[in-house]
Amino acid sequence: MEEYVKLKMSLPQIPDIELVAVEGLERLSKHLGISEDKIGDARILVTEAVINALEHSGQKRPRVRVEFTMTKEKLTIFVRDYGKGFKPEEIEDPNIVEKLGSDNKRGWGLKLMKSMSDDFLIESNNNGTRITITKNLI
Amino acid sequence: MEQELSLTSEIKENCLLIRTSGYVNNSGGEKIASEFSKHFENGIKKVVLNFEKSKVVNSIGISFLIEIIEKLNDVQGKLMFSHLDPAVEKTLTIMGLFNFAGLAQTEEEALKSLKD
Repeated sequence: MEEYVKLKMSLPQIPDIELVAVEGLERLSKHLGISEDKIGDARILVTEAVINALEHSGQKRPRVRVEFTMTKEKLTIFVRDYGKGFKPEEIEDPNIVEKLGSDNKRGWGLKLMKSMSDDFLIESNNNGTRITITKNLI
Repeated sequence: MEQELSLTSEIKENCLLIRTSGYVNNSGGEKIASEFSKHFENGIKKVVLNFEKSKVVNSIGISFLIEIIEKLNDVQGKLMFSHLDPAVEKTLTIMGLFNFAGLAQTEEEALKSLKD
């Protein structure tokens, strides 16, 4: 069976906590002998997924669960929050032309995750939101 | 682990050159925007952002760069990026920044492009 490594963590909302997840990702890839240049997109995906979950959960003291399952060929990122949830289909893709001149220049997380991943699944209800991202590493 | 953002800046050929090191997050983006504003108020309209030592960015940090582009557009100025990590370049591409900003491999190329 193909070698895989798994990492699970629970992250509270403190500044730059997403970097702990990125560090974990880097450790796993190093262990599997995956070169730095192959996990560049994954770094961005993890960062956006964690920030998004912490920022939009709507909880007083948010906490997100993060799981990585990694082989030499593929990374699966699972991020779950326990917040109020939302309707993903109601979120419109941001557009740079509209952002220029607007007071709100944020809101790019979902678009980046969808565009940079090889597979992206979002499930959300009033018990929270679960995001599963697959990124091919070859 | 990626460090808190620090930066240096200099004026070269009437262009502001900002070199960053570390994570371009909320506070990192704010630092870049604040450095830009100081020079923008003094009439600088051409900017090069060298991200050679910034391999991790997030979209909140990048949203501050959209503000910079907005201000430069108003005065027919221009922003050029140089030394981008491929994943950072992809991020900026998805966000559409290269519709309004330029991309160069090196600072020299960026400065040359701003002179032309």
